[in-house]
Amino acid sequence: MIEEETLVIDLQTKSRQAQAFEVLVNTYKERLYWQIRSIVLNHDDADDVLQNTFIKVYKNIDGFKGDSKLFSWMYRIATNEALNFIKQRAKTQGVSDTDYQDKLVANLEADVYFEGDEIQLQLQKAIATLPEKQKLVFNMKYFQELKYEEISEILDTSVGGLKASYHLAVKKLEQYLKED
Amino acid sequence: MNKNKNNPFKTPKGYFNSFEDKLMDKLSQPESTFPEESAFQVPDNYFETFNKRLRNKLENETKVVPLVPYKKFFAVAASIAAIAILALGYNWNNNQELGFNDLANTDIEAYFENNDFELTPYEIAEVLPVTNTEYSDFLSSPLKGDILLEYLNENVSDFDELNIVDNE
Repeated sequence: MIEEETLVIDLQTKSRQAQAFEVLVNTYKERLYWQIRSIVLNHDDADDVLQNTFIKVYKNIDGFKGDSKLFSWMYRIATNEALNFIKQRAKTQGVSDTDYQDKLVANLEADVYFEGDEIQLQLQKAIATLPEKQKLVFNMKYFQELKYEEISEILDTSVGGLKASYHLAVKKLEQYLKED
Repeated sequence: MNKNKNNPFKTPKGYFNSFEDKLMDKLSQPESTFPEESAFQVPDNYFETFNKRLRNKLENETKVVPLVPYKKFFAVAASIAAIAILALGYNWNNNQELGFNDLANTDIEAYFENNDFELTPYEIAEVLPVTNTEYSDFLSSPLKGDILLEYLNENVSDFDELNIVDNE
């Protein structure tokens, strides 16, 4: 795999930009997709947000100073794009973010790209009840299997704080699944 | 370090330093009741065809409209016309400068409605300067004195908390 530093230099050099961007997209599209999908749940929405994420990365790459890793920077953009997408959709439909997310989970039952059994569906319903931060941490750790150090850089939260968030999320999910 | 000289037990080196991390790791192990795999799927060949679709979208987004001479001419003509209109308009209405009061209430409401400030009313209240601000600035119809007194009478138990300063 191409070194991140080299990739950033190529992305910021006009003559090599197009080729470098192709490499960037190929390297990160799947990981970013699953991050976005875990937030917006629906495939078509995830596709829209993923494209917008890469467009934003492309337009802002000159401003990338390398203070964080390229991967973390893009993950942050993807996460913010997905969260904003949810907020905008909720506003357009005149409902609260929570109500909109409940609706997204309810739609999963009829979603052809969701092949979950009853327990999978229940888990998604339970995740929807978590506060935003815990939801993000749980999805990133459990489904995407990111390291705490990586999540720490993406969400700008200490590793200890993340472990506590994850623990709380797991406890709440267990409780939800037991009660239901 | 064992602080009690009578205590014969020891711990491995660095045990307490790493205890918190080990505990949090253990606590954060998910229960086996959770499904192992994500149930989310993607359409066939989605990732294989993604680059092409992204490229098309990016080309549309960044398409640059070429400047041709007649457009430059239109731009110059439009600029002159705009300056002329502004100059004439300024002479006609030089006593009527636009101010906050010229904004329609619906425009202001729409602005607050459509822009997400991510602030609660209490947080907004904390950052807004209240010096020289009257409650009448926020209300379209003024409150009557007796209604205000009735409200305070019913809702305030300790009048000292109001910090009323006698301005007279």
